[in-house]
Amino acid sequence: MDRMVRVTVNDRTVEVPGGTSVMDAIFHAGYDVPLFCAEKHLSPIGACRMCLVKTGSPRKGPDGQFILENGQPKIFWMPKLSAACITAVSDGMVIDTLSDEVKHAQSGMVELTLFNHPLDCPTCDKGGACELQDRSYEYGLVEKFYQPDPMELPLYTRFEMTRRHVDKHHTLSPFIVLDRERCIHCKRCVRYFEEIPGDEVLDFIERGVHTFINSEDDGLPSNFTGNIVDICPVGALLDQTARFRARNWEYDSTETTSMDDACGAAITVDARSGLLERIRAAERREVNEVWISDAARFGHQWVNENRVCTPLVRRDGKLVEATWDEALKAIRQGLDGVAPADVGVYLAGNSTLEEGLAALELTAALGTAHRDFQGRTAYPTTGFAPASFEELLDAEFVLVLGEPTEEAPTLHLRLSEYIRGLKPAAKLNHGTPFADLNIKERMPRLNHKLALFSAYPTPTARWAGASAVHAPGAEAALLAALLGEAEAPAGLGEPLAWVKARLAASQRVVLVLGAGVLNQPEAAIKARQLAERSGARVMCMTPAANARGLEALGLFPGKGGAGWTEAGPRAVYYAYLPTEAQLKAAAFRILHLTHRHPLAEKYADVVLPNQTAYEKRGHTLNLEGRVLPLEPAGINNGEADGAVAALGLLAEALGVKTPVRLVRQATRLLVEKHKLPAALERWLPKSTGWTATEADATTGTLYLRPTMWRREQRVGAVARVVEIKLEMSPATARSQGLADGYLVELALPEGVERLEVKTVAGLPDGVMYVPALGAWAGRRVEAKILVGGEA
Amino acid sequence: MGFFDDKQDWLRGVFAQYPDTPQGRRAALMPMLRRVQQDEGWISPERQEEIAQILGTTATEVAGVMSFYSYYQALPTGKYHLQVCATLSCAIGGADELWDELVQELGILRGDVTPDGLFSIQKVECLGSCHTAPVVQVNDEPYVECVTKARLHALLQGLREGKRLEEIVLPGKVGHEVHVRGEEVGV
Repeated sequence: MDRMVRVTVNDRTVEVPGGTSVMDAIFHAGYDVPLFCAEKHLSPIGACRMCLVKTGSPRKGPDGQFILENGQPKIFWMPKLSAACITAVSDGMVIDTLSDEVKHAQSGMVELTLFNHPLDCPTCDKGGACELQDRSYEYGLVEKFYQPDPMELPLYTRFEMTRRHVDKHHTLSPFIVLDRERCIHCKRCVRYFEEIPGDEVLDFIERGVHTFINSEDDGLPSNFTGNIVDICPVGALLDQTARFRARNWEYDSTETTSMDDACGAAITVDARSGLLERIRAAERREVNEVWISDAARFGHQWVNENRVCTPLVRRDGKLVEATWDEALKAIRQGLDGVAPADVGVYLAGNSTLEEGLAALELTAALGTAHRDFQGRTAYPTTGFAPASFEELLDAEFVLVLGEPTEEAPTLHLRLSEYIRGLKPAAKLNHGTPFADLNIKERMPRLNHKLALFSAYPTPTARWAGASAVHAPGAEAALLAALLGEAEAPAGLGEPLAWVKARLAASQRVVLVLGAGVLNQPEAAIKARQLAERSGARVMCMTPAANARGLEALGLFPGKGGAGWTEAGPRAVYYAYLPTEAQLKAAAFRILHLTHRHPLAEKYADVVLPNQTAYEKRGHTLNLEGRVLPLEPAGINNGEADGAVAALGLLAEALGVKTPVRLVRQATRLLVEKHKLPAALERWLPKSTGWTATEADATTGTLYLRPTMWRREQRVGAVARVVEIKLEMSPATARSQGLADGYLVELALPEGVERLEVKTVAGLPDGVMYVPALGAWAGRRVEAKILVGGEA
Repeated sequence: MGFFDDKQDWLRGVFAQYPDTPQGRRAALMPMLRRVQQDEGWISPERQEEIAQILGTTATEVAGVMSFYSYYQALPTGKYHLQVCATLSCAIGGADELWDELVQELGILRGDVTPDGLFSIQKVECLGSCHTAPVVQVNDEPYVECVTKARLHALLQGLREGKRLEEIVLPGKVGHEVHVRGEEVGV
């Protein structure tokens, strides 16, 4: 921590760490200063000149003593006003934000900013949540512009001016639309792309009054484009998925946790009239800071469509709408004669801890070993000591085996911070600094602190001192070489030797494991050995969002129980859509779904309406083991209810009593019995895992590549962005008799899919890749091409 | 074939001038742009993409730097690329009228090249010669100053005859007072 310095802001004297910006000292003291270009976690650049304030400091004479005036150190004022965001405080500094000189300068800057601004607030989606609008009201008026009488014409109006007219509806990507007239050139979005995800896809073109923002790269190729919508201080960059859906004040906003990946980013869910219209990032300093991935932001259009709103029961071979009571009757009938130990309970991977507890209590009461959650990896993540993001920033060396941008997008952004050598942001009275002078534009990336090996090319690799793309399944051999048990696989000798030396030389090591490692017990055991040997803490990028929490509770198959990919029990409860084989094998099937699906129409005996993760109340654990809260957003889901209620119904039908019937009961039980700490604390219970078996090892030449998008999200704008292709190296394609553009029918765990073949140079030979789009990520299956041929 | 494929030695020389870091590598952007501009007269999107590939950056970054400088052309240019300063002093000195005259005379607009391949025109930001406004620059030759309509026609005539810029004699003396409409006082 830097030395503390005392500064006086107007009439208040505060202490702030040395190196703090004048802007943050002002906010810390409880005063306000207008700003457009400064933003949390971005470098301050002083582009908008909105934060002009008057600063002065005492000065020492040649004798080393302060120059005095009336017995007090004399304040030497700077000859001109300075931009508060790029000026650092000094000891004894005096800051003036209230004088006429400052007010006049600030109102002048608002005038200049508004000079070419279109003032189309009534049709602008940002209206009501616009920084420029707010600041114009606060700072845009000085006395000379005041209207003397409301009934008289104003002395001065901006509507009389001619303005610059440029491109108004420029589509940057299917998600983002740019209005160049509204842009005030704060450079937040340009800086964001370079500094936070590291994808330099947006830049200023031209200069002076002609400057505009543009991308030469088609459709902004980055997994983190949506954040520029949040940070745009005006309505220049807007969310296309939420465009013209509502005014900002009409939204019913709920802050909750994203269940799209295992990081648990904070999101704000905006609903209107019972429809989910928009998702924005919320601030959670410990986890996602203020950033979220595109999957968490734009992948919400599926929620409103085609929902199951009431229970459905099968009558005369058809699913018909029913009440919960009728569903109970149908379940009771269907389970008649089924042994309690032959009932399987399978939760979705984004279930809350409360739901996990309900499932556990029910299966315990039934005495069944058939319990699991979707997306559970072959090796338990609870077998690793988890690292927190703070520990990640503090690490000396990070070894990644996987693809953070796809598997745990927030982790990619935190790695970006780590690789720039940044420490967690200071916490002042107003929270995170708006102008952190430690952050600079184009900071050098400390490549010697990171190594990355993945089964598919990934953008995070550009920061790694050593990186390679290996064939899926080669992780075990790679880790064996790092442990010194085997020779390095061909072509990996040099990078692995470097990693070995770095591991030996580093004290604080963090290991990041992707689904590819976790789904391969042999590799996962070696990773654990490596972690133990190097004292490393581990981050597991699990396909299931709450994998760590559900495992910590003990929600995995008991002895002889069927896992989530296997068929087994006679009667089953699935809170997700299982494979057709699993459904076929069971005699009575209860599906607890949010959406209708052909498989459900064909096989389900009872369908219960489920809540999406946006509608749930409860808690989840992220990959750090941090407890994160979920709050239900105002989305109309009919009679839908979560797994706690559905399992309660199942218990009633089976005539067993469990202590968990309501979500709040479950929460209380978690706190009292399982010692669940408060939100944002970490919960690291000592828990037993299962032992992975031979059957868990997946083999085959088709690799289900982890993706940040999930299958259900592929509607609307997302469908235009996410392309599903069967990818392979040109040599593999030749040996298979395939070529670019061929259409094939491919047997995947979740059904047969018709895909186009795409050859990608540089991929390992002999394997094929297909995006997993969900829980099967990181697994390998036999490539079964049913029909192939030229398109 | 890429522009730099047969210029690897030249590239190595450029990179050697800057630190061997990602930032240092990016510094080579300007000399590379300049080389393409000199050799081809403009920098096509393919060339921008090629430079981005070599430097490990994106085409957007290259376009951002390129468009900042009026020297780099994103559109094809003629043998003589006439750049008319249109910033304050020249605008007051009659740059707009001069521009209209050029458009009339050559029958082209920004982005066009005359059918004979000789001329292309562009308005540029301040060339820094406000005391001799209005100013026209041909390629990267010294400025043609205090440009009146008469001087402009003489300039075009000279260039059409294939004269070098310093051989062309323009009417009136350089440094004369110039009327706001772009005509020399007393002519």
